[in-house]
Amino acid sequence: MQDMNLTDLFVSLTDKVGLNYQFLATGYEAQIWRDGFVTTLYLVVLLIPVSLIFGLLFAACLTSGRLWLSAPVRAFVEITRNTPTLVQLMFSFLVLNTFVSNLVGGAQNNPLTPFFWVVAVVGLHIAALHAEAIRAGIEAVPASTVEAARGIGFNQLQILRYVEVPLAFRASLPAIVNNLINLVKLTTVGNAIAVSEITYASIMVWTQRDNVVELMIVILAFFSLINLIVARVGLWVERKLAVPGYGL
Amino acid sequence: MNTFANNAIVRLEDVHLSFGQTEVLKGIDLTVNKGDAVSIIGPSGSGKSTILRCINALVAPQSGRITVGGTRVDQLTKESERIALRKRVGIVFQQYNLFPHLTVLDNIVLAPTRILGVDRREAEKLARHLLEKVRLVEKANAYPGQLSGGQQQRVAIARALAMKPELVLFDEVTSALDPETVGEVLWVIRDLVRDGMTSILVTHEMRFAEEISDTVVFTENGRVVDRGSPEQIFRNPDNPRVRQFVSGLSGHNAMRDGEGI
Repeated sequence: MQDMNLTDLFVSLTDKVGLNYQFLATGYEAQIWRDGFVTTLYLVVLLIPVSLIFGLLFAACLTSGRLWLSAPVRAFVEITRNTPTLVQLMFSFLVLNTFVSNLVGGAQNNPLTPFFWVVAVVGLHIAALHAEAIRAGIEAVPASTVEAARGIGFNQLQILRYVEVPLAFRASLPAIVNNLINLVKLTTVGNAIAVSEITYASIMVWTQRDNVVELMIVILAFFSLINLIVARVGLWVERKLAVPGYGL
Repeated sequence: MNTFANNAIVRLEDVHLSFGQTEVLKGIDLTVNKGDAVSIIGPSGSGKSTILRCINALVAPQSGRITVGGTRVDQLTKESERIALRKRVGIVFQQYNLFPHLTVLDNIVLAPTRILGVDRREAEKLARHLLEKVRLVEKANAYPGQLSGGQQQRVAIARALAMKPELVLFDEVTSALDPETVGEVLWVIRDLVRDGMTSILVTHEMRFAEEISDTVVFTENGRVVDRGSPEQIFRNPDNPRVRQFVSGLSGHNAMRDGEGI
């Protein structure tokens, strides 16, 4: 009851300044819109760890010095960062997904949803960007520091774990945070394959209500807020990891 | 030298090493006895640092025999064998090369805990003892970037000692330091040598080399030109090239003396 009253108050107040949020008082459209926010947040929360895990994995492959590991990852990185994410998503959904459907004997047996394809395509796309940032960070660790670690008796994996990754992560953190901010915005490509994230849900509403400006205001504020939080958390981590007297 | 042969901990015989077309070592012979301090001197580019890197298998020579405490270093084929060797041979570098993201204490504790599997508390106890030795106890929680060059180098020495090595290699450890902090590092090394730590030093500190060494080796162009007691090399060099080198450096040494080594 309390909620309804607040919604009604909001609708009448905004109506006075000429903004049309009347759909909020309805059941169906308000539900679609709320679910849109939830889906976008769900995508963001899922995609951040997915992109980071694969980014680290890709970077390890790229710097492994083993061609059978680095070459395929290098090819993937080049393709994914040089082509539009929207095209990748459509290709994945229309070509790969159809291929999978045929393999399992029809779309009704295909467990892969449009939501899955958004996570896969956007997650791996941003992972490729993370990988490049982390690779650059690893390569920026001075050869003399690595030699000292070898001289002490560390093996290759220990050097990576205790020396290279901690230093590389600090160096690449600003670039990683930038990638994450892009990731948040990239979730909107889901709308091309009918994943009902916030832009898709909004289109559903405004085609009925003709209230584009009203919804846009909220969408822009919503993304600004998420990315403000991402940037803040990034800054906090950066400060937390800052080493006194060291440039990174 | 042969009379002490049984006591040798490091022996290089006819070691040849090239980087691509560049011949760096052209037949190095070197014997270091347990508990001795041996200084390798000579002009830049004579292969001094490369000799040290051969001893702990950071680089591999094309030919020749290298023996370190019973291990034929030149015959090691697996990285795990080289790692086993490096645990026994400490090395300290010109640029200190501390791990910048770790505190002084963690720099010293990392290798014993992660490589030797020493209990963290025990490793810290040893680390604090070593910091006392290098007179840096109060800096245990500082980061390398907060220390002067001389302090960083003393931490690097403590880090090498934490592995309880059989011998320590010092690669021009004072060359990157400003003159005021050279003394504090040499002071630490002098103590180590007096305690009987087998040490091989590549150095440009002639006055220091003369004071602490049991043997001084003069190298040039990848060959050992002369070797002998400090007295022989610095006071009565037979070899004309050594004589020329030593006399050319005397002025530089006099200046360093004034800085209070």
